[in-house]
Amino acid sequence: MGSALIGFYSLLFILLVYTYLRKDGSLTKGLNRAAEQIIKLVPRMLCALIAAGFIAQLMPSELIASFLGAESGAKGIVIAAMTGMLIPAGPVVVFTLAAIFAHAGASVQSLIVFITSWSIFAGHRIIIFELPLLGKSFLKLRLLSAGLTPILAGIFAIGLQLIFAKS
Amino acid sequence: MAKRMIESKTAIGDLLAEGFGRSFWLFLLFAAVSGFVCYQVKGSVAFEYALSRDLNLLASTLPRIVAAVSIAGLIWAILPTDKLTQYIGQDRGIKSLIVTMVVSILTPGGPSAAYPLLAMLGAAGADRGVLVTYITGWSMLGLQRILVWDIPFMGAEFSITRFLVCLPLPIIAGLIARKIPIKLSLNEPDNRARGQ
Repeated sequence: MGSALIGFYSLLFILLVYTYLRKDGSLTKGLNRAAEQIIKLVPRMLCALIAAGFIAQLMPSELIASFLGAESGAKGIVIAAMTGMLIPAGPVVVFTLAAIFAHAGASVQSLIVFITSWSIFAGHRIIIFELPLLGKSFLKLRLLSAGLTPILAGIFAIGLQLIFAKS
Repeated sequence: MAKRMIESKTAIGDLLAEGFGRSFWLFLLFAAVSGFVCYQVKGSVAFEYALSRDLNLLASTLPRIVAAVSIAGLIWAILPTDKLTQYIGQDRGIKSLIVTMVVSILTPGGPSAAYPLLAMLGAAGADRGVLVTYITGWSMLGLQRILVWDIPFMGAEFSITRFLVCLPLPIIAGLIARKIPIKLSLNEPDNRARGQ
């Protein structure tokens, strides 16, 4: 965790220096946008994180672990893919849920599949953006092409784990 | 000058209204209710344990979120979205899909930036593989989402693992899309989409 933070701030520092040296207003433009996003996101994000902690206490962890835990295997991946599909909401809700599942003992593979599946299906994006801007035939094409990728993500994740377990 | 100040004041007002708008109060209410239920059902020890863990999590998350959002904002300022599309090639090989995926990962902003861009690509005649790879790559691997959401909520190690595991998927989806023989009739992009 500490090293991630150091990495973040080093990258931020490099970008600050770089945008300052460009002298084309990108520094103020970027920082303005960042301030905007922080005001928009952080209040909700903090509430969501707190709620996630309480709900994690209330959730029957054995149940989640048995559905999404390390022992759940292929069943866990399918359940995770379906759960991810069913959430028509933005990242606040999804990452809160993912954090709850993680506290309750869900495996890394299931969590990867869950987040990936949501990122592909996110129903609110389909209704607000995809159908009006691209149309039905594109949605059909996209779901046929990418619909099974969350399952593939699960298989790759298990593969990666096996490789690391051996070495 | 005075007019500009008023404009920027209302802009800040709008922003605060959005940050602390209805959905914020819903989330706050949700947090309060879940805390109350936790206290009632699991007792004060579990409540205090959850609260102190949450506060610790917040203390460690907040600096990361501020850094992540600032990084995303600066990258957004350096990489104008419209210029990114120039790099998406017209050839039909796998190389075009790889370039498309890189561009999609770097595309800053939420769906209100990515979908109009996808519509423009479609209108400009990009092939179906490129279109599917672009939107799959953006939604699965978008750098901004990883910085702002994946890493603060799930940790760096998990986020890197997910990134690596998902890296081949947008290209696979694009290759599949090129083999699917359904008729693709894209909506005409309206002026709003073109303007962005």
